[in-house]
Amino acid sequence: MRTRDINKQDLVKQKAIEMIVKQGIEGFAMNRLAKESGVSVATLYIYYTDKEDLIKKIGIEIGKNFFSEMMKDFSAEMNFVDGLRKQWENRAKFMMNNMNEMACWEVLQNSSHSDYIVQESVEDFKIIMISFFENAINRKEMIPVSKEVFWSIAYGPLYSLLRFHNKGKSMGGFPFTITPEIQNEAFELVIKALTP
Amino acid sequence: MDANFNNILVFATNIKSKADKEFISDILNKNTVIQQWSIDQEDIDCVLRIVSGILTAIDIIKIINTLGFNCNELE
Repeated sequence: MRTRDINKQDLVKQKAIEMIVKQGIEGFAMNRLAKESGVSVATLYIYYTDKEDLIKKIGIEIGKNFFSEMMKDFSAEMNFVDGLRKQWENRAKFMMNNMNEMACWEVLQNSSHSDYIVQESVEDFKIIMISFFENAINRKEMIPVSKEVFWSIAYGPLYSLLRFHNKGKSMGGFPFTITPEIQNEAFELVIKALTP
Repeated sequence: MDANFNNILVFATNIKSKADKEFISDILNKNTVIQQWSIDQEDIDCVLRIVSGILTAIDIIKIINTLGFNCNELE
């Protein structure tokens, strides 16, 4: 009897993520994935019906995982500064622990599967974050700006610092590691910009 | 997962073109003991995946061969 080997399936997933990041969706092939993860092509096709199915399932899993991590100790009702601080903590933690997954997510977001993947994984997350944003404006805890400007100011600095951290160097090639002090310094400036 | 693993059969075929796929679709869709089927034409082996609790690999190979295509079970 054939059984599902969870470890093997996890290995396949990890390999698929690495290959999508390195080779892009076009360059990614099921039989190469089978070879690189040491499973037979047949096994791969037991897990997934085809390449598209695999890509969608992997994207949805990353999205759902991100969503659940972002919701830890967070709610849309939170006070603006506390809520945004929690988002910074959750996002920084997730990105540092899941670098490959985030890179894969980026690749998938630029593909024709992005709408489907977002719809199936992070649609509710978007609703919660919009509600957090609107609550903050309604309670006058944040200055009224558009969603796009809010997002750019609120998370742009964090993502820039995390990118430097992941590369191990900042612009001009200076060595860089993110620390709680640096993160907090940037966060305080964001709060200064967004609060009345 | 959508089906019992023991009921999934996987084959390498030469069902390459869109027309080939349409041709086998007519037959496979009408087969009431095939619960689900799909073919990955992006793959070099044009992998055919069949879910059926009743048909064996040999049954599938016979059906596909009769339609004029190669079909080998992938182990």
